[in-house]
Amino acid sequence: MNIEPNTAYRDKYAIVGVGNSPLGKVPHMSAIGLVEQACVNALDDAGLRARDIDSLLVRGPDDIYTFHQLIGERLGINANFSTTATNGGASQILSVILAVMAIEAGLCTTVLCGYGRDSWSRTHRSEEARMRSATRSEEMESSEFGPEYGLFGAPAMHGFGARRHMHLYGTTRDQFGAIAVAFREHALRNPEAMMKKPLTLEDYREARMIVEPFGLLDCSLRSDGAGAMIVTTRERAKDLRRRPVLIKGFGTHNNLTGWFADDNMVNTAAGPSSARAYAMAGLGPDDIDCAQIYDCFTYMVMTQIEDYGFCRKGEGGPFVASGALKLDGRLPTNTSGGQLSEAHCEGVLQIVEGVRQLQGIYGNDRQVKDAKTCIVSGHGGNTVCHSTLILGTAT
Amino acid sequence: MSAETQDTYLKPLPRPSAESQPFWDAARDHRLVLQKCRACGKFWFPPSQRCVHCLSGDHDWTEVTGTGRVFSFVTYQRLYHKGWEGEIPYVVAVIELDEGPRLLSNIVGIPADQVTCDLKVRVTFDDVSPGVSLPKFTPA
Ligand SMILES: [Zn+2]
Repeated sequence: MNIEPNTAYRDKYAIVGVGNSPLGKVPHMSAIGLVEQACVNALDDAGLRARDIDSLLVRGPDDIYTFHQLIGERLGINANFSTTATNGGASQILSVILAVMAIEAGLCTTVLCGYGRDSWSRTHRSEEARMRSATRSEEMESSEFGPEYGLFGAPAMHGFGARRHMHLYGTTRDQFGAIAVAFREHALRNPEAMMKKPLTLEDYREARMIVEPFGLLDCSLRSDGAGAMIVTTRERAKDLRRRPVLIKGFGTHNNLTGWFADDNMVNTAAGPSSARAYAMAGLGPDDIDCAQIYDCFTYMVMTQIEDYGFCRKGEGGPFVASGALKLDGRLPTNTSGGQLSEAHCEGVLQIVEGVRQLQGIYGNDRQVKDAKTCIVSGHGGNTVCHSTLILGTAT
Repeated sequence: MSAETQDTYLKPLPRPSAESQPFWDAARDHRLVLQKCRACGKFWFPPSQRCVHCLSGDHDWTEVTGTGRVFSFVTYQRLYHKGWEGEIPYVVAVIELDEGPRLLSNIVGIPADQVTCDLKVRVTFDDVSPGVSLPKFTPA
């Protein structure tokens, strides 16, 4: 069935404030506390108070029940509309999309979206926790067709896609390495980033292997941290503190038949999701000034860059190896360091970074020059759920 | 699980659901069976109540050839579970059976660094504990 994204949404809604909690190793704060802090910082950024918020679309670790209620209780908010999305790393952009839809439906006016996790703390409580490297409780893991064959951890599932891409297109580990190197360069410009040391391709090659084809530096970080965004109408945004960042388009797609089905692991849900976002925004890949791409693993950046149309399918390797993702490249990507080098908070920090680039708050060392548009991706939910957000400056 | 089994086999065992029980029962007898739809004739996996192609509730558990190819694979170089101590590296693969469905398993009987996508494989059964046999795959 053909669908046509509604272009009347274009530039009608805005993100008016963003915030983040301390990032990295924050053992003295719970996941709830981290999100609470990010929400308070987003309110400050917007110049709003908690009582101005009438909708909460916030999420935390998947094993905490009705996370939005727990945050509402802490912020003293009764919400006209509130829920917690359950699309994994695609949930955070999905929350922004739901915010727009709920405001449009007249259910609320001003929405606080956010996400946070305590994954560093969870995986460093014991030697057993470190070995399992699981951020969810054991009861949430599969009971068959996985663990009995030694399938553990996220690297393997994404690694199947990477291996298949290498087989089909001749993609190399060095090309994955170019992604890690580019984002590390960005992290070094970000004082809040977890990773502080320069990274060369040689370092990448020498890092220990985890689940081949992935080595340690193909894998995103284990982090504690949270981010939050406030969504309202462009009209309401006029009175607020920051230059509003407009929501130009969005889309989603979910290959619910699974990562193993069809060719989903090399032609991901990012393709149809971004096509819808571009259609709503009236823009194409050539109109995008910078990108914040969900980087749980290096390979996932490569396939999404292709699926988003920045190069053809199979040409992501040469594209990233050309230096295109660097701050001065064709497509400055993950300009805060991303989940590979800043902190891994399931994509929420990438929305925050995209907004800040368009708020134009950074100095020359970190600001994408003349950035007027940014595309942001979210990916997750058993590797098949995808959401896309296109942001722009108000000109 | 007996104390003896715990000593010798430290890996997790499958915990079948009502829907997957026939798969594991057949595996114990060294037969690889999948659900085959009586309405449209197609196979599917993992097990579920209805045919994922046409939603018919009418199916037979049907033995398949057990041959297929490696669709994709990964090689574990890091230990996630003490049950695999001394067995690193090991290969976890997505196998595409000749009948169509893809399933997760291990590739055995070949050095890890010689596994490739599209490698032709056939099923072999690993009797890991009394009453549990795991279908694994080896070069055809
Ligand atoms: Zn059928």
